[in-house]
Amino acid sequence: MVISSIGALLALLLTVADLFFAAYGPSEITINKEKKLTVPGGQTLLSALTAEKIFIPSACGGRGTCGLCKLRVTKGAGLVLPTEEPFLTHEEIESNVRLACQVKVRADLDIEIPPELFAIRRYTCTCTAIIDLTHDIRQFRFKMIEPETIDYIPGQYIQLLAPVYEKSSEEVYRAYSMSGDPADKTAIEVIIKLVPGGICTTYCFEYLKPGDRVMLNGPYGRFRLSDSDAPVVFIAGGSGMAPIKCLLHHMKNTGSTRKATYFFGAKTPRDLFLTDLMKSFEAELHDFTFVPVVAETRPGENFSGERGLVTEAVRRRLEKPESCEAYLCGSPGMIDAALEVLHELGIDDGRIFYDKFE
Amino acid sequence: MKKSPQLEKLEEVLRSSKLVAGGFMGTDSRSVTEIIDADAAAVAKLGYTPGRLAHRMKQITDAAVKGLGTTVKIDDRIQAAVIEAKGSIVCPWPHPGHFHKRVTAVKSLDSARTSRWSDLNIHLIEKHGFFEGKGSPYRIEPNDLIELIF
Repeated sequence: MVISSIGALLALLLTVADLFFAAYGPSEITINKEKKLTVPGGQTLLSALTAEKIFIPSACGGRGTCGLCKLRVTKGAGLVLPTEEPFLTHEEIESNVRLACQVKVRADLDIEIPPELFAIRRYTCTCTAIIDLTHDIRQFRFKMIEPETIDYIPGQYIQLLAPVYEKSSEEVYRAYSMSGDPADKTAIEVIIKLVPGGICTTYCFEYLKPGDRVMLNGPYGRFRLSDSDAPVVFIAGGSGMAPIKCLLHHMKNTGSTRKATYFFGAKTPRDLFLTDLMKSFEAELHDFTFVPVVAETRPGENFSGERGLVTEAVRRRLEKPESCEAYLCGSPGMIDAALEVLHELGIDDGRIFYDKFE
Repeated sequence: MKKSPQLEKLEEVLRSSKLVAGGFMGTDSRSVTEIIDADAAAVAKLGYTPGRLAHRMKQITDAAVKGLGTTVKIDDRIQAAVIEAKGSIVCPWPHPGHFHKRVTAVKSLDSARTSRWSDLNIHLIEKHGFFEGKGSPYRIEPNDLIELIF
């Protein structure tokens, strides 16, 4: 009893001491040697920037589990924490790259962030449609409410907030490429594949309904179509369809005359989707070919197109590869396999662009 | 037995949805130590070690990943497919380590027996002897796994 009381008293004293002595005053954050912010001390750098409406990509809500919120801190951050080390390469540590969610604002900080992050906004939307594309892939449409419109570069992604729900006790953000027509600035579309046990995809598939309020932020990412006239080869699989579909809308909207070939890999014919839309792109775009590739067929299933792995089809079918630019979206395994084939075909890294699921 | 603060913190993380929807413990009311001890005994009884299981699981995943999501015949007894998702997941134990969200689904060629594991499952078994709690979506029953993959 006496020991418990002493313990409780010590805990109380520590709490009070923390309030008085560990309270940090305001600190100044200098961004890119230009912009200066004065923020309350004691919070994480990620929280401080978010409060100032500067959104750094973060999929885990600042718990140090995604490693996305990297930025350079050139002054005031202290030593790299053990919680940051798994996400940072030796080179990144040498060049002062840190995880914004792990750095505490305890002194004035100098930081460097890409200027495009200043354009990132938080959006309130309403889910207006959910469409089954396959047994485990769905298309979600969100109407912008506040602000009423969104500007983005075709190929970019947004972060979708999964709120606290029955199977998740904390809010998390997950990144999804935008798949809709970028000419429509009043809504966005995303294509999501269900991940068993995934916090955000479980929310989207089992809980999110048309009419529900949805929070997003963005846009993010550097995946986009170049300004060149080089023939384009798109390679994707599964929900990797999303940014490629967006790029095709963009090519149609801008009257692009670039030759484009889209290799889309699926396990079976029933895993193919949006094939009618792809056919309409074939009719509307100047020189576009959609090449669905199926790895397996079941007894009774008819499929007359390319068979095998999508990378094998690229090797067989791609014409004049040396003049092409390649755009890839899919799993790390698919990207790695595609890179190998594209290198063999003579396409160098400078002409290969990808959105890897990492 | 009284738990250390570190063990209490670990169990809190394992039972929460911080890393995966529904957590790692499922509906299992046993402590993490009890789960690990019971599974270790089951594995040892069949003459295996968690390290040997993890090694075989890695072999299967490495072979199946070449199929880019399609089914690959591993040997005369099993086939497997690897499905990858966006992002990575960290180990709930307090040490560095994050893993691709990658799931290997294995099926016996001569029976209806199946199993599936994530890259994190392999790590949890290899380094921590943890097969997850009963009722967890990624719980692996050691006996069933051994019967399928060896």
